[in-house]
Parts: sequence; C-alpha cells; structure tokens
Amino acid sequence: MNQGKKVFGHLLTRWATPLAKKFTYSCSMAGNPVNLGPGLRTVGIVVNVAAFAVPAICAAADEPRRPNIVIILADDMGFADMGSYGSEIKTPNMDSLAKDGVRFTNFYTHASSSPTRSMLLTGVDTHLNGLGNMDEWTAPNQWGHDGYEGYLNDQVVTLPQMLRDAGYHTYMVGKWHMGKSPKQIPAARGFERDFSLLDGAGSYWDMTNFTAASPKTVFTEDGKYLSKLPDDYYATKTYTDKLIGFIDANHGDGKPFFAYVSHQAPHDPFHLPRDWRTRHVGEYDKGWDTVRQERLKRQIELGIMPADTQLSERMWFIPDPIVLAPAPRAILGKKMELYAGMVENMDFHVGRLIDHLKKIGEYENTVFIVFGDNGAEGTDLFAMIAGTPGTRDFLYAAIKWSQTHPNAWGDPGSYVGYGPMWAQVSMTPFSQYKGWLAEGGIRNALIISGPAVKRPKGGINRGLMHVADLMPTLLEIAGASYPKTYGGHEVPALLGKSWVPMLAGRTDTPRSEQDYLAWELFGNRAVRQGEWKLRWEYEPFGKGEWELYNLAADPGERKNLAAERPDKVKALLALWDSYVRTNNVILPSRSVFEALKDKLPQRVPDDPGYPPLLYKKQFVPPKDMLADPKP
Amino acid sequence: MNNNTSPMKQVAWMPLVIATMLIIGVLCPPQALAQLPARFYWKTLSGANAVPLVVEVLNSNTNPFDSAHTVTPGADVDATLALVGYARTFSLFDRATMAALIVPMGHISGDVTVAGRSFSQSANGFGDPMLEFDINLIGPPAQKNIPDVIRYEPGFSVDLLADLAFPIGKYDSGKPLNIGQNRWYGRVGLPIVWQLGPWVPGRRTTLELLPAIWFFGDNDNYVGQNMETDPLFQLDVHVTRDLTEHLWGAVDASWYYGGKATINGVAGKRLDNFGMGITLGYQINDNINLTVGYKTTLDDKGADDLKMDCFMVTLVYGWHPLLEGSKRLKSSEK
Repeated sequence: MNQGKKVFGHLLTRWATPLAKKFTYSCSMAGNPVNLGPGLRTVGIVVNVAAFAVPAICAAADEPRRPNIVIILADDMGFADMGSYGSEIKTPNMDSLAKDGVRFTNFYTHASSSPTRSMLLTGVDTHLNGLGNMDEWTAPNQWGHDGYEGYLNDQVVTLPQMLRDAGYHTYMVGKWHMGKSPKQIPAARGFERDFSLLDGAGSYWDMTNFTAASPKTVFTEDGKYLSKLPDDYYATKTYTDKLIGFIDANHGDGKPFFAYVSHQAPHDPFHLPRDWRTRHVGEYDKGWDTVRQERLKRQIELGIMPADTQLSERMWFIPDPIVLAPAPRAILGKKMELYAGMVENMDFHVGRLIDHLKKIGEYENTVFIVFGDNGAEGTDLFAMIAGTPGTRDFLYAAIKWSQTHPNAWGDPGSYVGYGPMWAQVSMTPFSQYKGWLAEGGIRNALIISGPAVKRPKGGINRGLMHVADLMPTLLEIAGASYPKTYGGHEVPALLGKSWVPMLAGRTDTPRSEQDYLAWELFGNRAVRQGEWKLRWEYEPFGKGEWELYNLAADPGERKNLAAERPDKVKALLALWDSYVRTNNVILPSRSVFEALKDKLPQRVPDDPGYPPLLYKKQFVPPKDMLADPKP
Repeated sequence: MNNNTSPMKQVAWMPLVIATMLIIGVLCPPQALAQLPARFYWKTLSGANAVPLVVEVLNSNTNPFDSAHTVTPGADVDATLALVGYARTFSLFDRATMAALIVPMGHISGDVTVAGRSFSQSANGFGDPMLEFDINLIGPPAQKNIPDVIRYEPGFSVDLLADLAFPIGKYDSGKPLNIGQNRWYGRVGLPIVWQLGPWVPGRRTTLELLPAIWFFGDNDNYVGQNMETDPLFQLDVHVTRDLTEHLWGAVDASWYYGGKATINGVAGKRLDNFGMGITLGYQINDNINLTVGYKTTLDDKGADDLKMDCFMVTLVYGWHPLLEGSKRLKSSEK
C-alpha cells in the first residue's frame, strides 16, 4: 500500500508539475497574465491533476500555445544585402524565413543604432525614450533634458518587461547600446537571461574598444559585468551559442520565449574567421556601380522594387569604378568581400538557431522578425576616431588597431569598413546611408515569418511600417497590452501601430493615408506621409533646406519637387511641427555633420559619362581608309 | 563623422606593399655552403627585375667556388667572393617563373695539398656564370597583375628548379684553387615554401625546404689529373619569421650527402656533413633589400670533414616598371 502511495506520488510529481506550468500559461493566453505563485502551486497541481483526469476541464490546455518570438537584428545590414532582397551575398537561412513568411519593402528604422533600438524595445519616440540623440553625439543644448539621456530612460517600459510579465522567458544576446550602468543594462530592463555587448561596437574577437578614453568594451551576462570573455569567443558564434543555451535551459517548462538576437555583425570592423574571408575573391573588382545595377535588376525580377525604379545618384565624391586602376578596385573590392563574408557568417549562425529550433520542435511555433537597425555604414568611423596623427586615439590605434595589411583584414587588430561606395550598394536603390535621413539611411529590409503570418508565403508587402510598431505588434501576439502606467508612473504613448491585422491578411498596411512618420537625428529631419517625403539635411548631403520627394515615383530621391509642390511642402511641414510638439524634439545646437560641407569636395551632379575626356574610347578608323605614310 | 572625403586614400599606401613583395629574397649566392638563403623562392609580380650584389668572406678546407665542396684534407682556404646577377620573373603556363644569370668573381688563397704536392697559391677573376630557371608547380598561379599580388599567399608551394653553370670562368690547370671549375655542372631541385599561419607582413612564418641533386661533369685537367665527382644530394631547411614588417630572421640548416670525388681513379670520401646558420633580412626602402648571415659546418673535427664558415652580406635591388612609373607620377605631384 505504501509502495502504491509512493508510485502515485511519483506520478503526481512527474505529470502535475509541467501541467501546472501549462495551466499557468494557458491562463495567460486570455491577455490577463496569471502568476500562480509558489503558494498556489500546490493548488495548481491539484487542479491540473483533476484536469488530466477530466477532459472537459482540459479545454484551456488545448488552446494553441502562444508563439515564441525571435527578433534577429543585424547591425548596419543594408536593404539590399539579403538574397531575398536582390543581393549576390548568400543568405540561405534568412531567405528561408522570407520563403516561409513575408518580405516588406516600406519598413523604416531610424538612421542609427541606439535610436532604432530604443524604439524597437519601447515603441516610444526617441525624443521621449532617452535616445533623442545618440549618447555619443548629444548636443550641449540637449544636455539635461528628459528624452536626451543617451540611454533608455525610466519613463518607458520595455518590450521584454511586458513580455516577461506576460509569462514569456526573455532572452537577449548581442549588442545593447542603450546604457551601461546597473539600472540601464539588459537585466535591469526586462531580460531574464542575457549575454550582451553594452557598447555600440568593438572587436569581434576580444574586449578591445576604439578609443583611448574607453579602451575596453563592456559585456554583461545575466546581469553581471564580465571580467573576461569566454574561451574561443567570436561575437556572432558566441551570441548564438549562448542563446541556444538559454533556450535549452528552460525548454520543456511550457513557457514561450522572446529572444532578442542583436547581432553585432555586420557592423565594422569586419572581423571574421579566415575561412569566411575568401568566399567572394575578386567578385567585387567589377566595381560598385555594376554591383548596384545587378542588385536592382534582381530586385525588379523578385518584385522588391517596381520595374521602372531608377538607382539613386552615385554620390559625387565617389569615383566611377570604371576609371580606377585594377589595384584600387581589388583593394576596395576586398573590403566588400569581407562585408559579404560578415553577412554570410551571420546568416550561417542564424541557420544554426533555426536548425536548433526545428530540432527541439519550436520552429513552427516561432515568429521570426529579421531586419537591419539602420542604413548601411558609409562613414569611416575609424578615420573619425583615429585618423589624425598625433592625437591620443591615433596612438591608441597604433597599438590596438594597426593591422592594416589586406591579408590581416579580419584578424584582431584590423579595422576595415567598406566606405560609402559599398554602403550605397548595400542600400540599393536608395540614396545615402546610415546617419542620414534619405531612404538609404532609414529604409530597411524586413522579413516576418511564423504562426502570426497568414499572408501567402513568400509574398511581398508594401505597407508603410515603422520599427516602433513592433511593441504593439508583439504585445498583441503575446496576448498582452500596453499599460497606461508602469512602475507607479505614467508611460509615454506608443508611437507605432500593430501589424497583427496586416499579418493576418485583413489589411495591407497598418497605416492610413493620413498617418505619418517622422524622424530627427543629428539635426537632420524628415516626414513621410503616403508616398510623399519632406526632408531637411545638412549640406552637402542635403541642401540645408526642405526638399520634397515622391517616393512612389522616385525612391532614389533624385528629383526635389519642393519648388513644384509648395502645397505638399506646407502640409508636411505642418505634420513636422506637430511631431516636434508632440515628441519633445529639441534640434541640436551641435551636430556630427555641422562642418561636413567644408570637408567634402564641392557637390556636382552625377552625370554618367561626364567628362567625355575620360570615357571616350580609342577611335578606330574604317579599315578601307587605312594607309601607310607616303614616302 | 568623416564621410570618406577621399575613398582613394585607402589604397594610397598599396604600392609600398607591392614593392615590399618585389624585393624580398630575389637572388643570392648558390655557392656558399651550397645553400641559398631563406626566402629565395618567394614569388612576386611577373615582370619584376632584380640585381643582386653579394659579398662573402669565407674560410674552409674546400674551394668555395666549387659547388661539389670536395674536401682537401689539411687545406686552409680563404676567399672573398662576390656575385652579381640579373633575375626576371615572368609567367609561363600561368605559373610563376624566374630566370636568372649569376656571375661569381673574387679572390681566393690558401694552402692545398693534392696528390702529394703542396700548393700555396692564390687566384682571382671571374668564375663560371650560372643560369637558373625556376618554375612553380604547386601553389597559386603566377601574379600577373597587382590584384594577384594583393591576393597572393603561398600556402604550400613546390617549384621545379634547374641550374646550369658554364665552364668559362678563369681557370689555371696548374693550380688546385681556381675561380672557374673547368667543367659543366648543375642542379635539379624542388624548392618548397610552406606558409605557417597568416601571410601578413610582420607576422609571416615559413618552413622552407630545398631538396636538390647536383650533377658534375669531369674536370679533365685538375692539376694535370682527371677528376670525376659523384652527384651530391643537398637538403636545405629554413625556418623564417618576420620580426617586423621590414625585418625578418631565419635559422638555416643544410645537409650534404655524396659528392665523392675520384682523382685519377683514386676515390675520395663522400660528404656527409651538416651545417647551420642564421640570417637577418631588412628592407631598406621600396627597392633595396639587405640580408646578413653567418653559416658554419658542424661536426667537422675529422680531417676529411667539410669545414667552412662564411659571413655573407647581400644587397638586392628590385624594380618593376609599373611601380617605378607610379612613383614618378607621385613624386611629380609634390
């Protein structure tokens, strides 16, 4: 008899505990998370044992589980860098998500890293959430103002906090870039497990940072600051290993998970293992113009861009590769070879994650969201930091970042970015790149797949979307809702709109023709409503005045229509004023771009074939008119 | 932000890299210890030219101008030897190829006993010029343009080497010590360069091997006698390592086996000797490379053992029309 009690007790423990967990999460499904708490766990066990015995009560357990959510954020990856968006770069794993899901062509981020990330994780405009400017470039007149703290401020509630409260496991790996102090790190902002690079960039191999003032990058793991990195550390690989470990550690407890996979790749420096460096040797010697044209052709074939799309201008200070000698084409091409390797290596590790989720039976119940955090990087960050001989950071770089030989590119101590010419390729067909508010700075590729997507697989959608939409979208998917107050104080209103109806196929866009989007960063500004965009940028990238573009007809922003359509300018300016008032926008008194006009060559039009002096080929006379000189 | 005011600045330093590759290890003397210096068979841009100047100061019990290293027991020979030459790289069947002509010259003096006759003599003048041909068999294709140079890494490279010396150097049949050798001789070998680790200036490491066999014709008038020499097997081994981008060092070893000389039917002893040395190389500028080295035989106590020690300085001037033209254009900009 006693033996029978033991067996029963064993069975009770074996079956009841996971069922109790299941019950807990089933209760959460209604959108009202219920945490039974330790005191009620026994009750839960009893209830669930009963449920096990009585099928009628088991109905709640038969409801579909809430999906896992995986956000794969690629750092500085451009609109045109995935195969499914027209790239020659091989990204079979991310493309497989596109094949299973939907691609979007009118998705906007912000123009740089931390502002985008802040909106991704809060759904609130940057000027309210603390990243009204990047921490690195906060202007004197912004210092001390709410919304310009340079980190996620205390006014906002984060997506992982909300999802954790809704019964999700919340994991983060990779780059954080929204604060380093104990109250600002991922563990303090809602992540249950994390392995995070707190800085905006750094070596992929070790803790080497870029400046003498801040020579070491800072990492946290599960809320503790790391004194060293794991053995065999390589950022992209280690992040993936850690995430798989997090998932496995809790797998089987019945709770869904939210994973924020914030890859450092392919942000410069282009550090990557040797066997990933040589997969495109010589492929880019043909030059950026040709690659851009090839990508646009594929984009049109794929349906990513309309058939009549024109490439944006090649920026006036970038040479036509046709006039370059083979050596610089090879050297500059090698930089793109490395970049392609960075993207492919990241895709490989994304594939590892996908394969693992398939292996443990979670893939079908996982919503994947893949995008880049801003436009591709055309600015030479290294030159900006260490490019002036005799400066403190030049000397620091001489020790830490001086592996300049092309054969060393990718090794620790090398610093390779690929420059504005290739950044424009990554942003095909758009104009400009990261940091700027032309489409090349803010429009990005977006793939969504998984159970929330009911649209035809492999489809393309042109709805107007914004990174701040993720907060309401994912809360809705998780069965949670955005609160009016959190932590005893009011939280700012959400900026974005849920994509759930659109993903379900009930609408084609989350926005009406009257809805608008607006951006301000480094003093550059833009508003988009419908197919119209009003843009103000520092010279010489912009004109230092408002410019107007019709993005439907001119996605490359070649033709400024401000003079022709003053009515549109006026209407969009009114929206801009509204945006400024609503979101606490303080235009910076200083900007990273303030003196750029004096540094760049005079802006001239991009007229292919000019000057003919350099383009006209050898004259070949008619054969029947050839003759030898007369004696 | 610096928006790349001149993307071309990123490649402005590149000719220096190419120049560095041009002049490393092109040509050095084949005579001293029958061993070429390390990095001799590194490849460079097709169409490159090099002129070496080599000066050696030697002491031995053999004639250092004689690649057979036939030992004369009890001999004590001092020599000051210089070599000048010209080498050109080119592509043959898409393989890296080099052809070179080397002319030895110098002064030699010493005490030698041959067939019971003692000689205390000296000699000077030009030696036997040697043609060298080397073609890569295994390894990357020829570097036909600068992008090829940029992408070149030797990995595991194997060449086929052929040398042939012409017996037209100064020769006095009444003396055992001569600058010329009065016979045809040559070599066939398989130079091997094995890259260990990254191919980045400042961090390059190589293991280099040269197994080779020397063949010798007869000298029908060696102090009035006939001298036949068996083939000589030679194995050179070098471990080289960059110390900085422009300075490198090597540990060198050689083993010789065979080469038995028979004079008028009287057979001598075959060689079975081992030598070691060190080399330092330094790139002075885009065109000039300097190496200094010392080599000596080991385990050479026996009367019949080869004894030799040698100080060597080489200066190699290398150029390529493409780089010279680029430099002219750049200098005219200043």
